[in-house]
Amino acid sequence: MTLREFLSDRLKHIALQVICAGLATLFLFATGTQPGVLVILLIVFLLVFLTVNMFDFFQRRARLLELKSILDGLDRKYLFTECVPPPKGLFERKLFDLARLAGRDMIGAVSDAQASQREYREYVERWVHEIKAPLTAARLICRELDGDTRRKLTAELSQIEAHIERALFYARAENPEQDCLFRQIELEKIAAQAIENHRSLLIQNGIRVELENMNRAVYTDEKWAVFILGQLLQNAARYRGPEPVITLSAKPLGKQVQLTVSDNGIGIPAHELPRVFDRGFTGSNGRSRGGSTGMGLYLCGKLSGFLELGLEIVSEEGKRTTVTLTFPTKQNLTKL
Amino acid sequence: MQKIMIIEDDPVIREELALLLENEGYTALVIKRFTDIPAQAARVHPNLILLDIGLPGKDGFSLCAALRKAVPAPIIFVTSRDAGADEVRALSLGGDDYITKPYSVPVLLARIKAVLRRSGGGPEQADLLEAGELRLSMAKGVVSSGGKAIELSRNELRILACLMVHTGQIVSRADLIDALWDNRIYIDDNTLSVNMTRLRGKLAEIGLPDAIKTRRGMGYQL
Repeated sequence: MTLREFLSDRLKHIALQVICAGLATLFLFATGTQPGVLVILLIVFLLVFLTVNMFDFFQRRARLLELKSILDGLDRKYLFTECVPPPKGLFERKLFDLARLAGRDMIGAVSDAQASQREYREYVERWVHEIKAPLTAARLICRELDGDTRRKLTAELSQIEAHIERALFYARAENPEQDCLFRQIELEKIAAQAIENHRSLLIQNGIRVELENMNRAVYTDEKWAVFILGQLLQNAARYRGPEPVITLSAKPLGKQVQLTVSDNGIGIPAHELPRVFDRGFTGSNGRSRGGSTGMGLYLCGKLSGFLELGLEIVSEEGKRTTVTLTFPTKQNLTKL
Repeated sequence: MQKIMIIEDDPVIREELALLLENEGYTALVIKRFTDIPAQAARVHPNLILLDIGLPGKDGFSLCAALRKAVPAPIIFVTSRDAGADEVRALSLGGDDYITKPYSVPVLLARIKAVLRRSGGGPEQADLLEAGELRLSMAKGVVSSGGKAIELSRNELRILACLMVHTGQIVSRADLIDALWDNRIYIDDNTLSVNMTRLRGKLAEIGLPDAIKTRRGMGYQL
């Protein structure tokens, strides 16, 4: 609040004071008070008004600054009215009570929403947990079938599993810190797990996977890294070209480790590239090939933000797509 | 014969798993009453225990400690929960391995084999494979026949090993690719053809040009 804002807000008040002083002066002058006395009186009036207004200004400004600093210090801004001392003036107090009532209603709504989100997440996790039992049984039963049918059914089961996995990680991405477990892990192990998870899809699409210099350890959460890599492998399989090859290679970058996943697939048009991490974005490839959910890369982006993984994608339409994952060093990780 | 104890509350998985393990040449011991499991285990002396974490009543974690005291057998946790913390907890409680559902059958079998081998109870992985005149040393990667020997590449070695394990049977190209992927060799159909041609060339060099027969539309046969 500046002095100018304060004065313009007070204009009516000040005008009233000036009019009153003027009228008093006029009355006194008419009843025969000497002009010298009137001047003194006016000066006194002016001083009193000035002092009162300036005092008001500084007091209010101090109060506003105090409130502002309370607000800045709050993690959840909507709890503001619960955290500030109530004002003293009657009118202000009434206003404050109204604001507090509105705030309480909001706090209730927010905590209801949080509770229902948490319950939903728990339900999704339990559901995922339960659906895995029949899937496991189905996989075991599949084994009794002859080669071709077994392979086709296993591939379909893998698809179901991939969808379930995405749903699980979508639910987890809301509160990632609950499941995160950072530890040292071999890149080779992450890659082998991700490839194994999507093996049917990769083999069915006639894909060759080449691993280069993968004998390096990184510091990350294994499950999530496997999930992210799995999404990239699925994309590479879905948007493959003729004679598809996926190359995974690692190289050190200072103390960090860079993992590149490159394919020789159909690529992504340059104008769509900035939007591939958007939620629900499917792009022209997704539409032409079908089966795209627009969720895979969105989740990758979101999770890698939390894992402090660098995630970059470059592509040349019709030739290749290369995704680079930069794993942080242990020292640089802040959320542990 | 190796005895594997299955502690799993889902009856379908339990039965299928038992069937699978019996087919693989193990004796499957199935637990159906989930009371006093350690005593049941102590009576039958399993060589390995597959333990589900989400059991009725007692959870697998606390059961693991009790089983550890009762029998010396290694324990593989099998669970559909896949939080990283669970895995760490399972392994720190003395579990020997941790597999999440839904597992693929080859992965499960490979893990079982590895744990049995580590615990010393399992048979050593056959280093020397023989089929007719062919002798294949897995460790050296050398195939020999009638005094002549030749070195194989990693891919060729795996292809030949897979054919030799199934001597006389027809092995389809898809089966061969599956077997290679099991060994972390992620090749495609064309690469398989190239490797097959090379392998046949090498076999010809040691005097067996027609060892691998092509069965049109079905696969290969040794």
